[in-house]
Amino acid sequence: MDITFEHVTHIYGQKTPFEKLALDDVSLHIPSGSFTSVIGHTGSGKSTLVQHINGLLKPSKGKITAGDVVIRANEKKQSLKKLREKVGFVFQYPEHQLFEESIIKDVCFGPMNFGVSDSEATKRAEESLNLVGIPASYWHRSPFDLSGGQMRRVAIAGVLAARPQAIILDEPTAGLDPKGRQEMLDLFAELHKRLSMTVIMVTHNMSDAAIYSDQVIVMNDGKPLMIGPPEHVFLQTEQLRRVGLESPETMLFLDKVMAKARKKERIPAFTIDQTADVVIQILNGVKNHV
Amino acid sequence: MFNLVIGQYVPSDSYVHRLDPRSKLIGVFLFVVIVFLADNWLTNGLMVLFCFTGILLSRMRFSFIYKGLRSVFIIVFITFLLNLFLASGGDTLFQWGWLRVTSGGLMQSIFISIRILVIIVVTTLLTLTTSPIEITDGMESLLNPLKKVRLPVHEFALMMSISLRFIPTLLEETEKIIKAQAARGSDFTTGSLKSRIKALVPLLVPLFVGAFKRAEDLAMAMEARGYHGDAGRTKLHQLNWSWRDTMLLTAILLLTVLLILTRN
Ligand SMILES: Nc1ncnc2c1ncn2[C@@H]1O[C@H](COP(=O)(O)OP(=O)(O)OP(=O)(O)O)[C@@H](O)[C@H]1O
Ligand SMILES: [Mg+2]
Repeated sequence: MDITFEHVTHIYGQKTPFEKLALDDVSLHIPSGSFTSVIGHTGSGKSTLVQHINGLLKPSKGKITAGDVVIRANEKKQSLKKLREKVGFVFQYPEHQLFEESIIKDVCFGPMNFGVSDSEATKRAEESLNLVGIPASYWHRSPFDLSGGQMRRVAIAGVLAARPQAIILDEPTAGLDPKGRQEMLDLFAELHKRLSMTVIMVTHNMSDAAIYSDQVIVMNDGKPLMIGPPEHVFLQTEQLRRVGLESPETMLFLDKVMAKARKKERIPAFTIDQTADVVIQILNGVKNHV
Repeated sequence: MFNLVIGQYVPSDSYVHRLDPRSKLIGVFLFVVIVFLADNWLTNGLMVLFCFTGILLSRMRFSFIYKGLRSVFIIVFITFLLNLFLASGGDTLFQWGWLRVTSGGLMQSIFISIRILVIIVVTTLLTLTTSPIEITDGMESLLNPLKKVRLPVHEFALMMSISLRFIPTLLEETEKIIKAQAARGSDFTTGSLKSRIKALVPLLVPLFVGAFKRAEDLAMAMEARGYHGDAGRTKLHQLNWSWRDTMLLTAILLLTVLLILTRN
């Protein structure tokens, strides 16, 4: 599902003393089937940006096109609901949205709201629960008896059960342990690859943004500062530093190695394997010189 | 979505902001009482003048206060109409069937509308210029004598400040959960009454779960930091009464005297 922003401005609390310009004339494009990360300093407008994509916020000015739905400042409710069915949204701490007496009922909530029949909703719920790895023996228990990480999986299954074409993740790994984090990210990568979903992820972790995405959007002060593939964005160390961001740790590590080897060039490498390859290249290079 | 002006605090550094919360509380209380002394054009004019002076001194924008008052205009208007047709006295201005408007009735309804409006403006001004913490500190200090008769004034003030402190948090949380459920296709604003009430369940359950959890965390954190109630506890914000506060109360006293002298 292609997503396009055209001159989108968002002002919170318009015409009060608390007025806040959160998005300032943003134009950008998110291609169908891509994995896009949104990074930026706290308060730079990341959440505000992504909440426009499924109509949770309406622009104060400008227009957003998502698939065949267009959202302008005075959009009607009906078109928003149609959009929400196609674009799933996983909030930070999504486990806070659980409310039903059993896990399976909670996961059915989304599809039923979108007018899917009982039996079809249950089928989809079971599918999604399998996808996020909640074993069938849990399905009829209360969601409030689960651990934090499991609750989050159930909440994500609740979003997936509506079968969205695109999914938005606002800091989906906040508060998870390293293993839980990794599993969560692998899940999203799989959704992206296997179901060719368009994924949009807000994150504070540069390595995650670098490893998983095709496109990185750097937000600063309500405006996109850079948009491009991670190999390009994360080479702009100076620009990133200016807006309070760092390159991924692998890049920082390689910078140090390069400095030791007295080389200037910079090669983008984000995973441990890539980094190891680059280090080997450097070491070989150094040896050849000596 | 929650842009009610009444009850909101707008930080700033005006004359009114810097007043001691105690003088503001006493002032507003006295003002609300003496409003009822006003019974002619002059006295009502004085009340309005006092309000305008207050707004000017607080450096609040008139348009902002006007916007906040818009929602109460309807109440004022209904009261106005009721009084217009029910109160009598003076000459008949016009008559339509059994509906009769008299000059006395008209005056009385105007006065009552002014009365409601100035009361609302003054209390709004209090909350706009005084943070909730200051208000509770002020109340606790004013109610202090009641501790002698074993009234739990401190606990009451603590409860109040905790509730006030968590109102914005709860509103934020509510907004977040509404958004999260809306993203799953639930709809709180359309459909029949029954379906709307049903749509509240996915909102209320997470809200309560969160509130209880937060209360537990807070109690634990307070205990961990040695909170043991009122005895021997010092204050972070000392209230201090300045000449400005004395001025405010003097002004209100003068206003009272003027009202008594000029009323019918
Ligand atoms: N509901 C709201 N009302 C008023 N202002 C808001 C609201 N939500 C966000 N803002 C303001 O808009 C700006 C952008 O907020 P946003 O939540 O989009 O930032 P963010 O990049 O997601 O930050 P974070 O990394 O902390 O989540 C901030 O300055 C914030 O204070
Ligand atoms: Mg955010």
